[in-house]
Amino acid sequence: MNRSNALPRLVWAGIALAGTLLPISSFADDQDVRDYRAHIMKTMGEQFGALNQIAKGKAAAGDVIAQAEVLSITAGLAKVAFTPKVLGGDAKPEVWDKWDDFSKRLDTLVAAANDVAKAAKQGGVAAVTPKLSSLSCKGCHDDYRVPKK
Amino acid sequence: MLRVSKVVTLAVMMLLPIVGHTDDKDVVDYRQHIMKSLEEQTAALGQILSGAGPAENTVAHMETLALSASVALKAFEAKVPGGAAKPEVWKDWADFSKKMKDFADKSAEMAKIAREQGADQAALHVIEALPCKGCHDVYRDEKKI
Repeated sequence: MNRSNALPRLVWAGIALAGTLLPISSFADDQDVRDYRAHIMKTMGEQFGALNQIAKGKAAAGDVIAQAEVLSITAGLAKVAFTPKVLGGDAKPEVWDKWDDFSKRLDTLVAAANDVAKAAKQGGVAAVTPKLSSLSCKGCHDDYRVPKK
Repeated sequence: MLRVSKVVTLAVMMLLPIVGHTDDKDVVDYRQHIMKSLEEQTAALGQILSGAGPAENTVAHMETLALSASVALKAFEAKVPGGAAKPEVWKDWADFSKKMKDFADKSAEMAKIAREQGADQAALHVIEALPCKGCHDVYRDEKKI
């Protein structure tokens, strides 16, 4: 699903769900899998960008807890998004060829993001800034993401 | 001397939350991070609610949407035109800020229902909690997305 039809889907869902149960099914097709994991990864990219701005004093320090929490929660959803072996999007086939390594790195990311969120609650920006380097996106992207053209 | 030093330290600490954005580009970049994150989160939730995504993540997405919505209005407080924001954001600030506050309040309510009563109940509040289009039609320049 691309951005342009995200809202119509929500409208449809709202109507369909009035008085019914939430769909139990997971991904409907391969494109859904690619779209969903792209949403997760793009969300993390935006959150990381926001946190970096806050750490550099270029955005409101008071937002740090919320921004770190969103990153932490979203990181926790990433493995579910990549578990179906569906090639395409920005993911290299190596994601599934070397699943043990990829999966382990995702676990490391989740732990680091949780740590950043905890630091934000306890010590604000000063506590978060030194921990941002532990969210090393590049290492994983170099190995598992198709380079941007 | 020690007292002066303490006063200076206190003054700096009090100013820190105010001294946030350093220039106009930072302001635009930061609000774009928030709005793009909201857009991706909304799209992910939309997939789930239409049966095309993992339902077990529903509550988590509702939670992150509420958190991002809670910081969105503040990102527009600095009157810095640019990005996809139309000048009407600041021209009609009372209306814009009311809509953004409603968005924050209603998405927080949806997340609370999700936590306390489960995703099925919270899903009934999605349309009310995410009135993106109503605001975008008026305040977002679609050509600049």
